[in-house]
Amino acid sequence: MISKTLVCTGCGCLCDDIQVEVDGARLGQIENACAKGAAYLQAAFNPELRAKGSIRGQGCSPEAAIDEAARLLSRASRRLILGLDNSTLETQSVAIDLARKLGAVIDDASSFSYGPLIERIIKKELPTCSLSEVKDKADLLLYWGANPTATHPRHLSKYTYYAYADFNPAGWYPKVTLSSIDVRQTELTTMSQPAFRIKPGGDSELISGLLRESSATNDQARKLSDLIQKSRLCVIFCGLGLVHSLDGDLSAFARMVQMLSRSIRVAVVPMISETNMLGFSQSLHQQTSYVNSVSFAGSVSHGHQFSFLEQVHNHAADCILIVGSDPFSTLPQSLLGKLQGVDIICLDHFTTLTIGTADIVIPSALPGVECRGSMVRLDGDGVALAEPIKDGFPTQEAILRQLLEKVQP
Amino acid sequence: MTSPENGTLLTIVTHENVHLAIVKLRDGWSDAYQKKAAVVHLSRADLEKLGLKDNARVELMGPAGSVVVIAKLDAAGEAGVGLMPASLYTNRLASYESSSSALIGKHIEARAMPTEKAITPVADLMVRRNRA
Repeated sequence: MISKTLVCTGCGCLCDDIQVEVDGARLGQIENACAKGAAYLQAAFNPELRAKGSIRGQGCSPEAAIDEAARLLSRASRRLILGLDNSTLETQSVAIDLARKLGAVIDDASSFSYGPLIERIIKKELPTCSLSEVKDKADLLLYWGANPTATHPRHLSKYTYYAYADFNPAGWYPKVTLSSIDVRQTELTTMSQPAFRIKPGGDSELISGLLRESSATNDQARKLSDLIQKSRLCVIFCGLGLVHSLDGDLSAFARMVQMLSRSIRVAVVPMISETNMLGFSQSLHQQTSYVNSVSFAGSVSHGHQFSFLEQVHNHAADCILIVGSDPFSTLPQSLLGKLQGVDIICLDHFTTLTIGTADIVIPSALPGVECRGSMVRLDGDGVALAEPIKDGFPTQEAILRQLLEKVQP
Repeated sequence: MTSPENGTLLTIVTHENVHLAIVKLRDGWSDAYQKKAAVVHLSRADLEKLGLKDNARVELMGPAGSVVVIAKLDAAGEAGVGLMPASLYTNRLASYESSSSALIGKHIEARAMPTEKAITPVADLMVRRNRA
């Protein structure tokens, strides 16, 4: 039995202090991981839950699956690459090269989640800060449409509220204000002092109130404004609740942050669940100036029509390569019904619903457990994954490199 | 006016549930998953409007499909709002409109009706696909 420290790739926190004991293919004690991270690591060691190579439901070697995938991608005329939000930066880079060679569309889940927020952060239209800065300097933590106790179980303990460097003399309560804005009561809202409860879709009204754009500025907006103005560094942790409620239009939110930043420092951190969505957006932006929904057919182009949802809705793709993503368990079933007759190639480490429907399944190594690489945490800090603690699967990067070599556009 | 027979309109707000995520990682699409996913939390006012007791079955009819789940009392819940963990159940209700900015499934308009039907099995919610 050997003891190792690894980075957990179970959620966007990328906790780097996970201690595990490993004996060959058996996982022993796990320390420091949350229940979600521990379940994730245990799943990595459960052969029943791991993806297996197959071609149209018939088991095969990974090499045979890669060959068939290359054949399907070469034969197709409208290719789409989806996913990569849980892949390493190295894998994402090869996937972008593959999309370019194939003249394919490439997209990730940010086009139907955090994309509008990430784009503004990458373009520096919204200020951000690292989680280490939060721990040292922030005096107001405002979770907006986010509940880390459900999505990022160690966010509060490792990075923010309970990790706060400066404690009061009693040593029990951190000298930081924890506040939240949500449409429902959660574990977080019961801890928040104060918690702002709004109606579903009420985020716009609250933002308007803060901007004093409405004559009837509501009480909540006044209280929130007072709370923020009293702080020195207010970090707004934005969840999907906020992004969805604003229907992806963050212009008023950005104006609000700009206005508040005149008197205090405000930073925005997206509560991304995926381990490396920000990394994918940064990589694609560096190469194309866009964070998602890019087509390499002819020249580089971008638009709503190249989002995965629109591509499926319009039957625009005839072959889809899905890397480390499970749209069949996360998207509307009415939409997924439109994928009949499309070739689906799935590259993943776990058995998923998407794998169950795929034509070709290529099993891959789990980043952080079975392979190294780099990722970008939700606050923009780079994280290097530790030495692998087990082997047995080819890496996503190696698989995509083989495809890049074998495909004929 | 509404009566239990006509049901009531709800905005279903979906959210992540860590216990559901763990069950899915450990046991896959099991009975345990169904137990944690096939749930809608309603306000006392909505339960009364529907003539339902806590833990009764309710049918939810969304823009793209319907499911039968367990209705649970949310003492702090707001009338007209149903809270559900994001799951295969909410994926059945949600639709995709091309005109939207592509952010889907967070708020779903649905009609709730009391029912005697069985809870929708997880297996019925999986999309079957004919391989190309």
